[in-house]
Amino acid sequence: MKNRVREQRTQQGLSQAELAAALGVSRQTVISIESGRYLPSLPLAFAIARFFDLTVDKMFDPEDEEAVR
Amino acid sequence: MMTFIPPRLRKPTGVAVAGALFAAAWLVRGGPLWWVSILAVIAAAVRAISLYRAGGKDTDEGALAGSRADERQQLLSLRSRALACNLAVAAAFIGLTAAIAVNAAWWWPFAVILAVAGFGYLLGLSTYGVAEEGAADDASAGHEARSAAS
Repeated sequence: MKNRVREQRTQQGLSQAELAAALGVSRQTVISIESGRYLPSLPLAFAIARFFDLTVDKMFDPEDEEAVR
Repeated sequence: MMTFIPPRLRKPTGVAVAGALFAAAWLVRGGPLWWVSILAVIAAAVRAISLYRAGGKDTDEGALAGSRADERQQLLSLRSRALACNLAVAAAFIGLTAAIAVNAAWWWPFAVILAVAGFGYLLGLSTYGVAEEGAADDASAGHEARSAAS
């Protein structure tokens, strides 16, 4: 599943640590989400989307349906 | 239960308490091996201090040691514990099979481990809601919709 977290974060000039602090997660988790190694829970996905003022489906793109289980 | 203890001290405290209990068991046992209790206390203290130091690091291991894990780190810990449990059950099964094969008297600890693991698994299924099955509301909704149409 692709996402636009890195793109949105860099557009807003935020570091991974700053985004992590804003979302209440660890920096390692932001790194894992950005690289696609970790699919966030629904509440965290909504929190990320709200933080960037986007909808969840704009932030996360299920291009690889096999990854969605 | 441990919420009154600061998060970074929770795991070190648990290790210290476990080490103290283990040391007390060796002391109560008495005999020439009483000094093992001193080793147990030293080992527990070293482990508790290393956990406390790890809890201050900005890593996944640090977050787990410091009891401040987020959802991904909790999932990581959960998967690791599940793997550890699977390996323990496999080892217990091998031990039980070997004990039976050689007609040994020490078969029962392996059986206890398997029984406790099986009970824990069933308790988990019950606690986390696998048995909570309600009526399929879409079926009744479909029936009402058809009734209204006819």
